[in-house]
Amino acid sequence: MSDFAIEARGLSAGYAGKTVVHSVDLKLKTGEILLMVGHNGAGKTTSVRAICGLLPVTGGSVHKGARDITNATPASNVGAGLAFVPQGHGVFGSLTVMQNIVLGAFVERDAAKQEERIETVFELFPILKERQKQIAGTMSGGQQQMLAIGMAMMHGPDVLILDEPSIGLAPKFVERVMQSITAINARFGTSILMVEQNLKYAIPVAQRAVVMKTGSIIFDGDPNELTDKVKLMELF
Amino acid sequence: MDLLLQLMMNGLVNGSHYALLGIGFGLIFATTKLVHFAYGPIYAATAYVCWYSFMQLGLPFWAAFGLCVIAAIVLGLLSYLIVYRPLQSRSDSGLVTLIASLGLYTVIENLLGVIFGTGVKSVQGIDSDVFFLGPVFVTSFQLMQIAALILVGGALALFLRFTRYGQAIMAMTDNAEMAQIVGIDTRFVALLVFAIGSAIAAVPAVLILLKDSAGTHMGFSAVFLAFLSVVVGGIGSLRGAVAGGFLIGFVESAGLWQISTDWQSSIAFIILFLMLMLRPDGLFGVKR
Amino acid sequence: MEYVMHILVMVCMYAVLAISFNLLIGFAGLFALSQAVFFAIGAYATGLAAVAGLPFPMPEILAVLIGGIVGVLIALPALRTRGDYLVIVTLALQIVVLQVILNWKSLTGGTEGVRGIPGLSFFGVALSDPSHFLIYAAIVTALVFVFAWKVGHSPFGRAMKAMRENESAAQAVGKNLLYLKVSTFAVSAALAALAGSMFARYYNYVSVDSFSINETIYILAMVIVGGIGNLWGSVIGAAVLVALPELLKFLDMPTDIADQMRLVIYGVILILVLRFRPQGILPEPRGALHDGEETASAGGNASSLVVGDGSSKGEIVVDAKGLVKRFGGITAVSGFDIEMRAGQITGLIGPNGAGKTTAFNMLTGFLQPNEGSITLRGNSLLGLKPHRIVGAGVARSFQDLRLFRNMTVLDNVLVSLPDQAGDDLGQVFLRPAKVSRQEHENLARAMEVLRFVELDGKANETVNALSYAEEKLLVIARLLATGAEVMLFDEPLSGLDPTTLAEILPVIRKLADNGKVVCIIEHNLDVIKELSDVVYFLDEGRAMAVGTPEQVMTDPELAARYFK
Repeated sequence: MSDFAIEARGLSAGYAGKTVVHSVDLKLKTGEILLMVGHNGAGKTTSVRAICGLLPVTGGSVHKGARDITNATPASNVGAGLAFVPQGHGVFGSLTVMQNIVLGAFVERDAAKQEERIETVFELFPILKERQKQIAGTMSGGQQQMLAIGMAMMHGPDVLILDEPSIGLAPKFVERVMQSITAINARFGTSILMVEQNLKYAIPVAQRAVVMKTGSIIFDGDPNELTDKVKLMELF
Repeated sequence: MDLLLQLMMNGLVNGSHYALLGIGFGLIFATTKLVHFAYGPIYAATAYVCWYSFMQLGLPFWAAFGLCVIAAIVLGLLSYLIVYRPLQSRSDSGLVTLIASLGLYTVIENLLGVIFGTGVKSVQGIDSDVFFLGPVFVTSFQLMQIAALILVGGALALFLRFTRYGQAIMAMTDNAEMAQIVGIDTRFVALLVFAIGSAIAAVPAVLILLKDSAGTHMGFSAVFLAFLSVVVGGIGSLRGAVAGGFLIGFVESAGLWQISTDWQSSIAFIILFLMLMLRPDGLFGVKR
Repeated sequence: MEYVMHILVMVCMYAVLAISFNLLIGFAGLFALSQAVFFAIGAYATGLAAVAGLPFPMPEILAVLIGGIVGVLIALPALRTRGDYLVIVTLALQIVVLQVILNWKSLTGGTEGVRGIPGLSFFGVALSDPSHFLIYAAIVTALVFVFAWKVGHSPFGRAMKAMRENESAAQAVGKNLLYLKVSTFAVSAALAALAGSMFARYYNYVSVDSFSINETIYILAMVIVGGIGNLWGSVIGAAVLVALPELLKFLDMPTDIADQMRLVIYGVILILVLRFRPQGILPEPRGALHDGEETASAGGNASSLVVGDGSSKGEIVVDAKGLVKRFGGITAVSGFDIEMRAGQITGLIGPNGAGKTTAFNMLTGFLQPNEGSITLRGNSLLGLKPHRIVGAGVARSFQDLRLFRNMTVLDNVLVSLPDQAGDDLGQVFLRPAKVSRQEHENLARAMEVLRFVELDGKANETVNALSYAEEKLLVIARLLATGAEVMLFDEPLSGLDPTTLAEILPVIRKLADNGKVVCIIEHNLDVIKELSDVVYFLDEGRAMAVGTPEQVMTDPELAARYFK
């Protein structure tokens, strides 16, 4: 077993043949919660989307454990245990909560396992159990975000990547989302990479932090070193 | 008053027909975002296949119907695999696929004439019964058109709601990228909707063949009315397509009450035109 | 021989149609599929006028005029819808118009059509057989070609292409979309109507059957097969698609089947071209080319674009007060004040959703504020369309670049230059000397701008051939070319590697040093520190603090807001 849940080496990626992220090295250790911060346009979203197969990797490689997943399709990554929660509300807004949750386990055909995971998701987010018949798009932003994370957990992933899960959420929901991330990590040993701007809530949760700037990692260390925000502004 | 009731009945019958077309076309449009113009001539082709199998080959009617469903599925899948998919992978695909679908429309429509001849085809030996519901006159074929909508629409609704791939279709209609993220093979789902959507076209086509006749140009207004039902009702909603279809059926009928039949085929196009001018996003607010 | 002449007449007529359609869809990107309507209107107008006894060329002139007017009417849908919907709407419109023609029996003769249309005769020679008519057809086609060439290769034509590539970016470099769309439709429709009048004179008979949807698709196929945006391509496309199916004549086939076979062939060719040669037989020409010779002749002229308005440094140029913008129930900007001074770089920072881009959209007319005032040297900018605001001197760039991707680097800059007489179609034909002199000067100015951002070596490349960093430079060049003294940059530097960043920073600094008013939204705080003279910290839709970069960035309260 490799020490790294995800290892991107010299990763370059972009849109329509234009490289926007240049040669990034990023390692997610097995079992850790890694916080990734950086200013807009620093290349965070591009990097994580390329890792998950949603954007083409134009240079370098991505490994999940020992397995080379460079430019693998999102569907095959899901099958290999890599779950992704995209920015904004990663849910099917016109479907019910329960339909969303079941779709989360699309690659899992074993009905018993599905049932079991649904129970787990309901335990993590009791609100989803209450609201299971509601149309997802009519829930609050915070509830949709919980649903999105719940759907990702339906894959039964060992690696979870979240792109700004707190964006646009009220503080109490941010707290709630962060708690669930800790819970998932503690309970299932899931390795978690979280891109996040909301440091007040994200730092206490993270075990390690990296700061990305103009396409490269300029800080790698204890998240608590980022609590001094004035200092952090200098890093940005 | 009797005339009005009769027109309402006609509106119901024609509305069912448009709704059925709208369901099939709309399933493809909502899921793949492709304006599949060739849906019209494929619809026409199924009527021809049914006519040929029944009248020329002498097959039993159920076998002729089966063959034409298969023909519809094959034509639908070929359209997607040979024409749309290779173009869709290019970045500037939006209008390119639409232009290609117009090309495909021309090809299929005129091939029908080349293969089957240009004359109108009709089926002999299957006659309709006539019923009077009070003052209103209705034929068994017309009733079948209404029944077909209930059966096909109901079956599709159940499929979409309760099966794994039905849900995958709903997911892709909602958000294709999210569908990929949860591990759905969106290319397979696209094939699936082309197969189902095309198969649905066979039903209204055969009913029109029985009721009236088949002609090579029948596909044009069919695909337009299908598109119109979908746009009026709201893209991505089965119920919307049905509502849109009925609305057009009734407006058309009501129009005939006052306007000369010379203009009948224009009514729907004028609705479409006004509709897109006034509400470019559809009557019930299209998603996104 | 007669037969060959007949084919050549057909090639001429369809060449005119394809050229007219190419202006609309190829140059301007307006996919309104109703060209057969204009064709029909030209044919009917000519036929009816000639039957009524009007002498040549009155019916022809009438046809062109009526065609142009109907073109303007059909431009209306194109102002409201686009993409798939425009295609469908215009196809539907075509059905309706044909039905009107069919049912307006008293005028058009209904299904009977218009018969006995007098042919043409010149100097006592009747053009009644194909070989004589061909001379007339060829002359008309040549004239149409020259006319369309003038339109397509003028500054107006360049603006059409910019609109095709990206409408909002075309507005942002000062183009008037309403004028562009309406005049393109009028020109395209008038030319198609001229083809219709040829039809009427040639066949002496007009009926509605000749102008079906299939006819529109047929002309569309010619444009696409020949090459979108290439006028020679349209001529070749017409020749190929008219001539090729004639080979069917050598097969033994009943005529109705042969007719349908012909359409099958068009369809197949159209699909094959889209699939395997999307640019068509002749690809779109690259536009203006830089051959290195103009530098000697002009030169100094361009510097005005790089220098400000000569206002004294520090003078307030843009003053916005109390800006409010609400979207439904959400207030994106709530009481934002900003002053921008000559020779200064103003930085806008703040967390996501703070309202920075919305503020830019209001300052440049892309959004109208619900409340507040915006003045440029005391003159209000409220209510002006984006292209007017650019003309007044405030221009902006977009976060997502919005370059004119299928145009050359040089054309991207050329199209952005201000006060081009050739943007006006009337001037292209009435003041050709002025337009061409300006064009010559503008080439030099554009090259000067490109030298300023050091992209002159790539002038003849299309945008698609540029690296991401070069695209960012071109964004700056395009903004510079507008000649606006106030330049609003929306994240001009995101996604760049540190080396390139270091190269671009001085370029922006130089602009302010030259007296321009620069405002920049940026998330990379190094850039803000390096560049800005004054920084506005936005949150919750208003300025929470204004100060030097040091003041703003060392304020713990603001830092806490920045990272929430």
